Amino acid sequence: MAQRLRLEDVSYSYPLPGREDAPALQGAGLSVESGEVFCIAGANGSGKSTLAQVCAGLLVPASGQILYGEEAVVGRGALRGFRRKVGLLFQSPEDQLFADTVAKDIAFGPRNHGLKGEELKAAVVGAAGLVGLSLDELGARSPFSLSGGEKRRAALAGVLALEPEVLVLDEPFIGLDFEGRERLKSALVSYREERGASIIIVTHELSDVWPLATRFALLSKGRLLGVKDKSDLISGDTDLAALGMKLPQWGELARELLRLGIPVADQSDPLAIAGALASHREATGDR
Amino acid sequence: MRGNEGRLRIQVEGLSFTYPGASGEALRGVDLEFEQGRFYALLGRNGSGKSTLARCMNALLTPTGGRVLSCGIDTAEGSTRRDIHKLLAMVFQDPDTQMVATTVEEEVAFGPENLGLEPPEIRRRVDDALRLVGIAHLAGRQPLRLSQGQKQLVAIAGALGMNPAFLLSDESTSMLDYSARHRVLELFRDLRSMGMGVIHVTHFLEEAAEADAVVVLDEGRVVASGPPAKTLGDPERVRSLGLEPLAATVVAGELGRLGHPVPGGALDVKELVTWLNA
Amino acid sequence: MTGSDITIGQYLAAPTALHGVDPRLKFIAVFAGIVMVFIYGGWSIVAFAVFLLALLAAARLPLLQVLKSLRTVWVIVVVTFLLQVFLTPGEVVWHGWFLSATDTGLYNGALFSARVLLLVVLLAALTMTTPPLKLADGLESLLRPLKYLKVPVSRVTTVISITLMFIPNILEQSRRLVRAQMARGADFESANVLRRARDIAPVLVPLFVKVFHDADELALAMDARAYAGGEGRTRLYPMKIGALEAALTLAFVAVSIGLAFV
Repeated sequence: MAQRLRLEDVSYSYPLPGREDAPALQGAGLSVESGEVFCIAGANGSGKSTLAQVCAGLLVPASGQILYGEEAVVGRGALRGFRRKVGLLFQSPEDQLFADTVAKDIAFGPRNHGLKGEELKAAVVGAAGLVGLSLDELGARSPFSLSGGEKRRAALAGVLALEPEVLVLDEPFIGLDFEGRERLKSALVSYREERGASIIIVTHELSDVWPLATRFALLSKGRLLGVKDKSDLISGDTDLAALGMKLPQWGELARELLRLGIPVADQSDPLAIAGALASHREATGDR
Repeated sequence: MRGNEGRLRIQVEGLSFTYPGASGEALRGVDLEFEQGRFYALLGRNGSGKSTLARCMNALLTPTGGRVLSCGIDTAEGSTRRDIHKLLAMVFQDPDTQMVATTVEEEVAFGPENLGLEPPEIRRRVDDALRLVGIAHLAGRQPLRLSQGQKQLVAIAGALGMNPAFLLSDESTSMLDYSARHRVLELFRDLRSMGMGVIHVTHFLEEAAEADAVVVLDEGRVVASGPPAKTLGDPERVRSLGLEPLAATVVAGELGRLGHPVPGGALDVKELVTWLNA
Repeated sequence: MTGSDITIGQYLAAPTALHGVDPRLKFIAVFAGIVMVFIYGGWSIVAFAVFLLALLAAARLPLLQVLKSLRTVWVIVVVTFLLQVFLTPGEVVWHGWFLSATDTGLYNGALFSARVLLLVVLLAALTMTTPPLKLADGLESLLRPLKYLKVPVSRVTTVISITLMFIPNILEQSRRLVRAQMARGADFESANVLRRARDIAPVLVPLFVKVFHDADELALAMDARAYAGGEGRTRLYPMKIGALEAALTLAFVAVSIGLAFV
């Protein structure tokens, strides 16, 4: 079961200055609750990949601190322990596959953590199951022979096999088609439900995280501009376009309903929205 | 750029393609026609053959069946590949793997240099392309140090430097954020208005909704083609093609089921609102 | 695999006096330098080293960075030096444990190490100040006569330039992969050398896969832009050798040869 993850006034800068694709991070503070799906949103070059790696303990902040539960992550030992609890799926993770079989690739992580024999097998089988990959069918195949969507899920399985309490994903949906994105989403949902894990999704494209995330941290030029609820974004208190992003069409629709004063109980349910629109039209048509 | 004098076409006739060593065909008997002055979106799930089709059109791949006439030139004739590359320029997905030079202007000059043009003509084309794309101020910068979106604009300028009749975009927006994507789409529409043919391979239905015509591929076949409202307006059909229907389309579909059909469907929220107030 | 160093072969964006020099002249100078480095004996090589470093410093090449970037080369240099010192027969000047250093060994060790270092410095100066595409253009122009001997000059130079273009890519990918595999529990900080060696495969295999894939994409993109080697290629900035740079190159070659007689 995940604990609350907090970043307090975290800053990070790269040793090579002037790299616009890897901007520094300044005074970022946020708190991800246990079991939450949290979105870190920002345009390309906003520092969101940097923030993802800080959240996963892979980059050590120059100042500020990370707290996991009540413990501050300070010093080598604490950092090592923290890294074990957090899993990070890098952007285009299919590029990190290396083993000669899918099963061995998924086993790489847990093996590094000292799992052996039945325990190791159970971890691999469990992770493959979560992402919907059949080991009977694909386990002995080379990861390089998989389709794009399968590769990405195999890479996710490699991280899930470590059973992280907090899962950080950097642009997990980029380059996947509809089916690939849906399968990935359901894998994330079931992992969260089964293990009570927190999930942090880092992205510039809000449409895929929209149905998953409850809160959105907005990042621009290495600075955190605030954490917003979905309703904040819908009501339009933040100019997403100025941050290089866009409200997804479902959000635009919700915003329009709000503007027209049409109440909808569940804004994620197309039928409910259609029903509300239909009765609105009937009502105004009668006038 | 070219005017409207006798619009050039790309004619795809019974095109099949099988990758060497692959068991199945990537394209199976594709018949299509594209013309200058129009903006096309090419959609389809991963592995549907859309990139393969784009590569067959500008002779990067040679058909294993049927033929492609690009601006009247058969792509199967090896000796004319350079003429086809002149007429059909291409932009790829990852800007990082298409940069060859160390300054933006030399990057854009690369294509015209390969065509063996005289330096003043290269200069003119570079300046025109940079101005058209709106990155003249980046001329002296190092491409590697630019943002993803800027790099992709440089790549597009590089393609325009060839002074092509058609621009093929092979998922050139898929790695970009919204503001960069928006800029690229705006540019594609401008180029179309100037008489160029633009063929844009994409995952984003919102981008396709802005095209003049949409072509959907599945398993190497054309499964839908026509104006966006016609091809993308039915949510069930869109899903069956492996694509995610737009929110407005889904809601319009539900409205139809509730006995309140939205004539012509809806691709964006505005269309729904217009219907609501009609 | 630390991040901040410049690596040999990587182009340096900050302009130096050498950036503007015609690539063909640079090739000639470097070639002459390399040949002479292997001809020089004791004092000649010292004189040449001083001459070369002063020249590069005057051209504002960041020498310190160059020397730091030679880290991988230092290993070769030290091994060369030690082998020479202890394995060359001659008058013993120092004896300890089971090893003895000879005077000839010391001399050879110093000479051979200096050769390796100067060789690398010369090549680094060339690649740091010449964009890969210009290197290819320059080399192709110089090697044009070989075309009559049916040597595929264009292909060779294209391969060289693509390789050089890929150095930043390879560095970036390897950095990414190290961190990605660290996130999967790989241990690159471990004191256990065996463990670290074992964890290299998870970096190298995907690195090769990715770099080959990217190279393929690059070749495709170059093809789409009508690149077919240097044949028939013109330049936005045509290669033109100025009188001053030609004279300076000639002077450099002359001095390099002259130093052999020191």
